[in-house]
Amino acid sequence: MKKTILLCLGLLLVGQPAFSHHSNAMFDQDTVVELSGTVKEFQFTNPHSWVQVDVVGEDGKAVEWSLEWGSPNNLGRQGVRPSTFPAGAKVMFRTYPMKDGSPGGLFIGARFDDGKVVGRWEQ
Amino acid sequence: MLKRIICSLFVLSFATGSGIAGAASDSARPDWSGVWAMIGGTIFDRDTQTGQGGSTTPGVREHPPYNAQYEALYQSNLALRDQGALPDPNSLCGIPTGFPRIFNLPDVYEFAVTDDQVWVISENGPNILRIYTDGRAHPAPEDRWPTHTGDSIGHWEGDTLVFDTLSLHSSENGRTMLDRTGLMLSDAAHIVTRMHIDSEGQMEVQMTIEDAKALTAPWVVTKRFRKLEAGTRVYDYACNENNRNPIDPETGWTYTTDTEGNIIDLNPGQ
Repeated sequence: MKKTILLCLGLLLVGQPAFSHHSNAMFDQDTVVELSGTVKEFQFTNPHSWVQVDVVGEDGKAVEWSLEWGSPNNLGRQGVRPSTFPAGAKVMFRTYPMKDGSPGGLFIGARFDDGKVVGRWEQ
Repeated sequence: MLKRIICSLFVLSFATGSGIAGAASDSARPDWSGVWAMIGGTIFDRDTQTGQGGSTTPGVREHPPYNAQYEALYQSNLALRDQGALPDPNSLCGIPTGFPRIFNLPDVYEFAVTDDQVWVISENGPNILRIYTDGRAHPAPEDRWPTHTGDSIGHWEGDTLVFDTLSLHSSENGRTMLDRTGLMLSDAAHIVTRMHIDSEGQMEVQMTIEDAKALTAPWVVTKRFRKLEAGTRVYDYACNENNRNPIDPETGWTYTTDTEGNIIDLNPGQ
């Protein structure tokens, strides 16, 4: 389990979700954080979906991250389902982190151990 | 009257349930059936948007021709936006975005044509814009008051719906805002809208906005919508279902909470 901060590089070019419900000012969209963790819960809910991920830090303690995503309506039309992130799954996530360093961010993409990708995962 | 209500409910049910909305009984009416999505971002005035966008983006116009008072108010809103502290009522959940912002939303749309009304139904809401096409006039000034969608009366010019909207809330009372840059109009706004499907199959919505209190000239804004594939479904949008982004009433900052409702981030304004 690890947390890696990536320089944004080309990822900045791929745009951002069309949120109308609230400002995205809390996210640092110049930085991408890569998280390796275990899915605790997937909230497929309005107005936004959330992926709760337990990430074990270098001190060995688990920290729960909240990754905010789109509405289930739009995600559902794109093929996402409540079962997309089952609890207990080991997944690598990329997120635009909260500016203040709190354990949360804007969901970019995810890659499962078997190589399956959800969202955006440009190399 | 009862027959009319039943008929309307049937048409609405047909429209929202089958995905072939707008199939009016009058064959002279255009076919606006299906599910639609706005083209482009949810910013009316791309000049003010940081990052992507620009005033030349199709479907948007340049800076509104504000008078000095409203330009100052707008610049103040832009500064708040830059601080993440714009008090956008849309973030409060449950308050209609109203008109004209109803044509400036993510998620999807249906345009339901009936014999005597047209309904613009946005999935992101709650939002329904009712346009009366039965020949009625606006209520007398003493019989109408500002609302989120105002009062809209329209008529058909061939396949083009032309409608006139009055009695909108003023942005100055904080009840409405046109987008998240803080675009504003006053309660004097008078909007004439032309809707039709263009030669490329896109729904074109051109709004000519006059506002004697806010604008020095008419502001023309065009939004376009593309039809999604047949069978596309529309879902509930329940903004308070799991809203984990409460707004600080003092600073306008949008917080983030954990699954228990505890705020997890710091407010840079405090």
